[in-house]
Amino acid sequence: MVPASGEGSRGASRAAIAAFLVPALVIYAGFTFYPVLRTFYNSVHLFKGRNVEEFVGARNFLDILTQDPVFWKAVGNTATFTIVGTVADVLGGLLLALCLFTGTSLSRAMRVIWFTPVLMSYVVVGIIWVWLYDYDWGLINVLLRWIGLGTFEQSWLGDPHTALWAVLVTHLWKWLGFNMIVCLAALHALPGEVLGAAELDNCGWLAKLVYIIIPMLWPTLINLLVLSFIGKMMLFDLVWIMTGGGPLWSTETVSTYVYKRAFDWNTFDLGYPSAIAVLWSAMIVLFVALMTRLLRSRDRLEF
Amino acid sequence: MIKASAIWRLAAVVLAMGLCSAAQAEDVTITVWSHEADEAAKVALREQAAKNLEKSHPGVHVKITWYEKDGLNTALRTALPAGQGPDIFYVEPDQVEYITNGYIIPLDSLVDWKNIYDWARQVWTHDGKTYALPEEAYTNELYYNRDMLAKLGAKLPDTAQFTQDAFLDLVKKARDAGMTPIAQGVGDRPYPGAYVIGEALLRKLGLEDYGKLLNGKLSFEDPRVVEVFTWVKELVDAGAYPKNFMTLKLGESHHYFYQKPGSLMFPMGSFYTGRAFVPVDKGGQAQDFPIGIMQFPAMDKAACNECKTVAVGASFAINAASKHQDLAAAYLNELATPEMGKRWIETVYLQTAVKTGPTEFTGPYAGYFKELMERQKGAKYFTGMPVDILTGQCKDTFVQVMNKAFPGGLMSVDEAVKTMNQGCYKKG
Repeated sequence: MVPASGEGSRGASRAAIAAFLVPALVIYAGFTFYPVLRTFYNSVHLFKGRNVEEFVGARNFLDILTQDPVFWKAVGNTATFTIVGTVADVLGGLLLALCLFTGTSLSRAMRVIWFTPVLMSYVVVGIIWVWLYDYDWGLINVLLRWIGLGTFEQSWLGDPHTALWAVLVTHLWKWLGFNMIVCLAALHALPGEVLGAAELDNCGWLAKLVYIIIPMLWPTLINLLVLSFIGKMMLFDLVWIMTGGGPLWSTETVSTYVYKRAFDWNTFDLGYPSAIAVLWSAMIVLFVALMTRLLRSRDRLEF
Repeated sequence: MIKASAIWRLAAVVLAMGLCSAAQAEDVTITVWSHEADEAAKVALREQAAKNLEKSHPGVHVKITWYEKDGLNTALRTALPAGQGPDIFYVEPDQVEYITNGYIIPLDSLVDWKNIYDWARQVWTHDGKTYALPEEAYTNELYYNRDMLAKLGAKLPDTAQFTQDAFLDLVKKARDAGMTPIAQGVGDRPYPGAYVIGEALLRKLGLEDYGKLLNGKLSFEDPRVVEVFTWVKELVDAGAYPKNFMTLKLGESHHYFYQKPGSLMFPMGSFYTGRAFVPVDKGGQAQDFPIGIMQFPAMDKAACNECKTVAVGASFAINAASKHQDLAAAYLNELATPEMGKRWIETVYLQTAVKTGPTEFTGPYAGYFKELMERQKGAKYFTGMPVDILTGQCKDTFVQVMNKAFPGGLMSVDEAVKTMNQGCYKKG
């Protein structure tokens, strides 16, 4: 017999629940909920300093959408980076995981090597790769010259045609290991009997991968795709460290542009950058919802 | 009895604590937020000013918090709108937003201006009011390596100024000889790439029209401007800048010039000394480095070939929300005494906005200062770097085009002129 309430009951009193919840709720309200609300509020105001603000309605949004070429350039860059980066990230991680899953020699060492960049901060990664990409003494150009391909040497971060891709490669280098570890864990969790049965049926490795492994990994892959997508849509730190959005806005992302508008434009008006942030957040939510809906498997796998 | 004595002792302690806190309540602490934490000479000067104020104002304490620039600006952007922040903070002339938003107060009646050069005060004068005390001043200079110049068989004219054609030839000669003609990088700053083009525009247009160009009142399609862009394009195409121009950082470009691999010339503000005149193991130049200073080239059909840019750097403003504005102003006055100005020159090796009177230069850098002063003779000054004057989209366009893409060889003259016009020129 379980007592309904009181001492010895498993159900906690309201006061106890509140005591545990309130601190977390206060922190959440102060550091998440209020800033979000405040950003919405800011986005429809013009700030003139010393707490003077003017309600401007949708004017900031209209200006962004109709009169701001840099915003659209940033949207284009972010979209390119997100689409290519997300696919490459997850596909690359899966391939590395499959490599290790097959039990290649040195797999333990490879796992450590590929995962190490994940543990490094963006600042460190950015600085390392700026050195690697340096025209004169960067390792990439030095190697190209050394193997006789000096004609391909480039100012990788200084050319608008290569800068975004150079940043993307750096980003992939940092995150491939994370995707690899998640995929590898999922691969190890696959039921051995299903894979064993496929082998008994003389199923080749490619058929096994396409018809058995990937469908069973699909929920994991969707999660990785969504996480990767969100991360890239908000990309800031790596670009800021490596190129600052240049040259000629070729690596400008929506996040770096928001920062510039908020802190580099000699104004305390947070209205316009807040409007960009609101607009972009809405886009991210919309795309994530769309992606989840499109990619979600209708049939649940049972094994 | 024991109890009674304990009570008396307790009362005595409470009374003493009360007196103590009363004494402390009379004390005032002035807070200062300053950039340049890594420049020991400047830190020492500002700390000295704090000590001087504490000595002359018993009960007043000065607490200086040292920042790097980005950290300082971020902290101020959060604190000032909330009506908080320090009594005094570091500002630079491009930060006009503090004035337009009313976060700093006019100092006209608070600061003793007789110790500050008028031109430097003008930098901080907006609508007839002066908003900050300028401390650091600098001019744009073209440093060069005397030995490399001699190796090329070139001789600096008596005016220390090559013509634009001779300068282009010099760049070509240097490139042919395997030298980097001009060390410069824009990896972490919004202005170095525009030194050559900016100074050329100033000379070609003269003080008034150059000001108009920066204020959006003169089109970048003006033929004189196009001529300057065309000349700079020739320099770029001749290989004037290093290949890693786009990613080379300011500190690295100093190193490039006076250590490895070395370059013939290095355009830089005279704050060059802050990085160069430190021990070699801390990134400075060797004591025997053959440094020279030449004028930026004379332009053909120029309005003012003797013009050059002078600018104010480190300055200090008083927070409008400060409760101790008089004491804050007293600290600023301590920074601006002739003795502090003299000490600035002797320890920071840089010009200052503070009047110092005649200064005797001695020591290993005496020759450098003599040459620096020589290059100022007969100069007509334009006050302010472009990044101090431009704002918003125009500033962003300047940073992307004139600082990076154009000298980086990524744009044609037409593209650069058109893009600058779109960002900066206010028609009508």
